[in-house]
Amino acid sequence: MKKEKDYRISFFKPTTEFSRKNRNLVLILVSIWAVAIFGFQILLRVMQKPTPEKSLITFEEVWDNVEMGKASDGEKIKFANSVLSVLGKSILLSAPEKKEVLSNAFSWVVYDLVNDADKGMLQKEITMFEKKKKSILTLNDKEYIAAKDKIIGEIAPVLKLNKNSLKAKLIPLELRADLMKNFSKENKTKIKGIMSLYLTHNQSVLTDTIFLGFPFHYFYTAIFLLVLFVALCWVYCFIIDRMHSESGIKNS
Amino acid sequence: MKKIMIIFMLLFLATFLSASSATALEGSFKVGPAIILISILVLFVLVGIFFRAKDTTDFYAAGRGISRVGSGMAIASNWMSAASFLGMAALMYGSGYHGLAFVVGWTGGYVLLLILMAGQIRKYGKYTAPDFIGDRYYSTSLRAISAIVAILISVSYCVGQFGGIGLMFKWVLGIDYTLAVIIGSSVVLAYTLISGMLGVTKNMQIQYVIIIISFIIPLFIMTFKFDYFWMVPQIGYGAVVTDIIQGEAAFKATDLVNNFGHKFAIIASPEYAMPWDPATGKTFFQWMAITFSLMLGTAGLPHVIQRFYVVPKARDARWSVVWGLFFISILYWSAPVFAAFGKILSSSPEVGALAKDAIVVYTAQLGDIHPLVVGLLAAGGVSAAFSTVSGLLVAGASAFSHDLYFKVINPKASPQTQLKMARLATILMTIIVMGIAMLKLALIAQLVALAFSLAACTIFPLFLLGIWWSGSNKKGAIAGLAVGGLVTIISLTYFVSGKYGIKLPAHEFVTYWLGAWYFAWIGAPLAILTNIIVSLMTEETPYEIRKFLVEEVHS
Repeated sequence: MKKEKDYRISFFKPTTEFSRKNRNLVLILVSIWAVAIFGFQILLRVMQKPTPEKSLITFEEVWDNVEMGKASDGEKIKFANSVLSVLGKSILLSAPEKKEVLSNAFSWVVYDLVNDADKGMLQKEITMFEKKKKSILTLNDKEYIAAKDKIIGEIAPVLKLNKNSLKAKLIPLELRADLMKNFSKENKTKIKGIMSLYLTHNQSVLTDTIFLGFPFHYFYTAIFLLVLFVALCWVYCFIIDRMHSESGIKNS
Repeated sequence: MKKIMIIFMLLFLATFLSASSATALEGSFKVGPAIILISILVLFVLVGIFFRAKDTTDFYAAGRGISRVGSGMAIASNWMSAASFLGMAALMYGSGYHGLAFVVGWTGGYVLLLILMAGQIRKYGKYTAPDFIGDRYYSTSLRAISAIVAILISVSYCVGQFGGIGLMFKWVLGIDYTLAVIIGSSVVLAYTLISGMLGVTKNMQIQYVIIIISFIIPLFIMTFKFDYFWMVPQIGYGAVVTDIIQGEAAFKATDLVNNFGHKFAIIASPEYAMPWDPATGKTFFQWMAITFSLMLGTAGLPHVIQRFYVVPKARDARWSVVWGLFFISILYWSAPVFAAFGKILSSSPEVGALAKDAIVVYTAQLGDIHPLVVGLLAAGGVSAAFSTVSGLLVAGASAFSHDLYFKVINPKASPQTQLKMARLATILMTIIVMGIAMLKLALIAQLVALAFSLAACTIFPLFLLGIWWSGSNKKGAIAGLAVGGLVTIISLTYFVSGKYGIKLPAHEFVTYWLGAWYFAWIGAPLAILTNIIVSLMTEETPYEIRKFLVEEVHS
């Protein structure tokens, strides 16, 4: 019976000096590992503050007037630009129902901004462009490019955008002929939440500090943690080899 | 071997001479990439024949004659699946910082594996994971159950890989996805059957080199071409991430464009890099749960654990993990580069929604990189899937022939019969996996992550407690396995019912807290706790087992 007790093993109750050293080494390394991974993410979570993009601040400044129909042309231009800054985000491709709301807002405000005499023409032009877009085999189609450039040339100045800017390039791709005349009540109730969702981000000093070109938190997680993992493994092997040789343990 | 390399080099040279310049994101047959892919597959089969298995020891454990660095390369190659090569960039491309949970989860687990298990597993001296479980818990039933679990894990893991193979064959050959899966599966089956693990291990070393070279070359080209620090693209892309956050104003006024002629710039998109950004729909809890589940799963995957049996000594098993993790990290430092460039290059709405699982290849195409380099990249993706699939098929076949057939059904089976059963199991598994892969049930990374959570809830607790606590006994193991299995079944039932539009009670609650990719965050701790409690309440582990643990495993 006494002999049986000698053959009990527990990580937390080492029976030999070697086991005790091994346990301590494992505990130290696992602690470093856990704190480095989960501790940092918890710190990131604790320090984060919902931070709006400039476009959201602009949107919130003008939205009430736009909603009540009291917005000046300047406010409408600001509104259009802020909506366009969300429409240009590629993440929106995975949320077509939200994109529809924003397309409605953008198309409506552009239609509202152009001269009354040009409204019908604009709608016709966009309808033709949409048809052309569906029929082309390559994006290098000359007629398609010409139609696109024409719309940019007409609308970019209305929105006070540089014709070569990214936002200007988005105009023909985001305007919808069927959504121009009316900004639906339902979409009006949704837009504030959508703008807030896409233009508010969890930021802190850890995300805003640049290190080797990276946002610091990104560098830490994507690069440093992997270096740390390899280092921890190397340290463990090195120390355990030394412990084995000191204890006379063979590795056969 | 030298002759094989010369043939390969000649084939490779021929493909460069017959370079095709036409590149489309999808659809057409691509001559240069096709020749590269076929050359690499021929090389794999030739290597498989050259280093073929001669008996069961060779088939299961490569004769235990592989060096530490070689074994590290094999670990890395075995590990770097289609999920790492294709799926990880896809996750970061779609969900930004959330995708880094997979990078950390799929590397951090190796630290646990090394310091808690690697040396001890090798010292225990068994061939397979079910072999260890059956022996340690002195239970034929547990051996059989764990063999079935190992097969399920292999199948789940393989389905994702076969999907990746199908996707790349489809892209290169311009053929139908179903036909692409059939062709790819047939080649994997052929050389796994011919070579066994000895050939597979040699192949894995070659595959590692191909995977890494094919993955890294486009990064140097892209960082150089788009004017970032190209000497170390894995650092240089930091500025790409910052530019994505800051948006258009951050980009220099140059004529840099993608292959559609869109300006190399993007509207400010901080959601790409900010933690658990609301726009991605992912939360802090999910980040932590995924990381934790993937890490435990890493230390519980039978085909990963099995690699420690192919090194001569416990010391080699430990050092092979260090090398393996280093080799893996090279790929994991690189994958986010593709996602970041892909984000900018595909930012125009004209590019449309791209298949995320192929974003690595699309990014290279959009970056207007030479078609042959893109072809090599696709071939690397296929190699990554192949190397993992071969290891999984061997692990699954071993579980069937060794742990179920030899140890449970027919203990008198000769080594020749066992080898035949292993090959039969490989064929059966390939057919089953091929059939499921054709259904396109989920994304590559989703299926693979599921396999990790399954392993973390079932195999991991049995190994952890089996090695480190002699008090863990058969009844405790069965109870723990039952609890881990129950959590798995609940999670998967809700997931599958959700897929088919069926709402079960508390559907939202269960699918969020027990998501199919991370249910192990609670399942694994519960399984461990149950194992401990039941073990403490029941009779002690037999004397012989405890003696073996003390004298052989922890000596």
